Amino acid sequence: MSPVPEIAVRAVSKSYSAGRPEEVRALRGVSVVLPPGDVVSVEGPSGCGKTTLLNLLGLLDVPSQGQVLWDGRNVAVRSERERARLRLTGVGFIFQRFYLLPTMTARENVELPMRALGRPAGERRARADRLLADVGLSPRAEAFPHELSGGEEQRVAVARALANAPGLLLADEPTGELDRANTDQILDLLLRVQAESGSTLLLVTHNPRVAARARRHLRMEDGRIVGDGPEA
Amino acid sequence: MTASRWSLRHHRLQAILAVASIGTAVALPVVLLSVGGGVSQHELAQLENSGYQLSISAGGLHGISGAHALVAQIDALPHVASASAVLSVAVDLFLPTGGVTPALAEGVMPGAFLATQGPTTAGLFPHPLPLGDPSDLAHYANGTYAGPPALDVLVASPFAQDFGFGVGATLGLGATTNRSAATPFTVTGTFGVPAQTLGPAAVFAIVLPLSDLQQLTGYARAGAGSGALLDQADTIEVALAGSAATSVAAISQVQQEVQGLAPFYGVSALTDQASELRASIGVLNGFYLALSSVSLTIGLLFLALVLLRRVEAERRTIGIRRALGLPGRQIALGLARDGLVLAAAGGAAGTVGGIAVVTGLARFGSGSVATAAGLALFDPLTLGLLLAGVLLLSLGASAVAARSALRGSIPEALR
Ligand SMILES: Nc1ncnc2c1ncn2[C@@H]1O[C@H](COP(=O)(O)OP(=O)(O)O)[C@@H](O)[C@H]1O
Ligand SMILES: [Mg+2]
Repeated sequence: MSPVPEIAVRAVSKSYSAGRPEEVRALRGVSVVLPPGDVVSVEGPSGCGKTTLLNLLGLLDVPSQGQVLWDGRNVAVRSERERARLRLTGVGFIFQRFYLLPTMTARENVELPMRALGRPAGERRARADRLLADVGLSPRAEAFPHELSGGEEQRVAVARALANAPGLLLADEPTGELDRANTDQILDLLLRVQAESGSTLLLVTHNPRVAARARRHLRMEDGRIVGDGPEA
Repeated sequence: MTASRWSLRHHRLQAILAVASIGTAVALPVVLLSVGGGVSQHELAQLENSGYQLSISAGGLHGISGAHALVAQIDALPHVASASAVLSVAVDLFLPTGGVTPALAEGVMPGAFLATQGPTTAGLFPHPLPLGDPSDLAHYANGTYAGPPALDVLVASPFAQDFGFGVGATLGLGATTNRSAATPFTVTGTFGVPAQTLGPAAVFAIVLPLSDLQQLTGYARAGAGSGALLDQADTIEVALAGSAATSVAAISQVQQEVQGLAPFYGVSALTDQASELRASIGVLNGFYLALSSVSLTIGLLFLALVLLRRVEAERRTIGIRRALGLPGRQIALGLARDGLVLAAAGGAAGTVGGIAVVTGLARFGSGSVATAAGLALFDPLTLGLLLAGVLLLSLGASAVAARSALRGSIPEALR
């Protein structure tokens, strides 16, 4: 797996529609450091900037001001090409709405990030099958997303996020659309792979049951971090 | 690969529309270039095989006067194989069966006429022309027209068939519908008519000695009998001998010498006409290409729209791929491949369609349309370049689509 970097943001602000009347200041000078192997929840009311922060940490977006640091290097200023490469090798995303590719089978979805890295077909197929077995979906490898339940889809998404063994797992309300049983299953899974790999796990949620599983809790309000500690 | 497979399957209607639009766009240049090129080549070939290299004509309504003397002078020039004066006049023809019909008569110098025709035309006539008096000088007799007229005539075979007479029959020829003023001629042979070609092809009903026709129609002398000598012809065609016939320098040298002999007449070289034709073919081709580029532009705009529509429809999945960190290059390549597949299918459909249209016109079209279509040349190089151009331009269309696919923020695309 990729070495787990220390991820940090320093004094980042993010505005949407900057300079226009409808300008939204989603983040207002946020600084935080995530040491390797940290398990962090991000909590806060809807619209407080959780997703925006996750997107900046995962290099899906760039800040309006401030720095995004991976092992001290400001990666926000890199080209989109370089950031794409870092996402592909270093970040595993798990989204609330799963975001599987609807035209690919479960296995093809899991293979996709490995294919983009040019892994040989046999190798990536074997790894995809192993990951699908890990998430308990071996029998559904040939199924298309629309043939899967929500919980199964999210398990495929977790397997896909792990495909290139990233050092950083970013989950944005991963259980937001799941029932309680599936929520627990996904959480167990994420925490298990985190424990096995030592990767950093950041969980955005406003579900206290989910947040309770984290070791560190970030509280956000109105674009700022207002709480950071071991207590929920 | 998977994305492309899916796209083409699930956007079948759009794919069909894109293929149809490119097909239509390609069919137009296929038709224009193949028919235009074929007709031009045909005309050029006709010009180059016409059997003579220089043509003398008078401007306006005036004919060439003193034709026999001028022909003798031209014949005496170096490099000249044969000079042939020709007069075309409509006459009245009194048939053996008693009827009368107007007919276009061609007066020729029997010995020189075939020598200045191309192989196709010459092949339609009996050799030598059975019109007596090969040089047409016996009857003409130094401008007196006192010598014995041949009174022989050749008839186009369809004409003879239509009116039910053949070799040996006697035809009355006159300049007026007065049968008693007509001169009796003997039919000594028939000739074929050329297969239908484009443009005005002079198809003569009868061919007779120049001096006979001149005298019959008043082109021998001004006023009946004793007037001033006219000896008129419409054109004099000059064939050069051996390698001079294909040498531009020799042709232009003889052209100048002939011009010196006949300063008031126009002397044109077929090489000039051929190069004029080539120039106008070039202009025409440019015009075809301009027209084609309009249609191709429309086809490719349509392709770009279809690809953009696809990008729009797949905004979310493209966003997912970008979020996962898949190289933008892969996304662009997928679009380029889609564009190429559609353009290739459209190009193939358009080529087949264009050829089918031309073939259909040649078979079922009417008149000159069918004739022109029948001359079409499907030049593999031209068609290949056309297709290559379409494929190349389709990359432009997919580049536009790829730009749109990779622009904008990823979170935006995922919303
Ligand atoms: N692309 C965008 N354009 C405009 N406003 C946005 C955009 N994305 C997020 N926002 C706004 O920024 C604020 C923070 O959004 P977000 O980070 O998604 O919050 P959370 O994930 O905590 O619910 C919200 O007010 C939201 O409406
Ligand atoms: Mg959110």
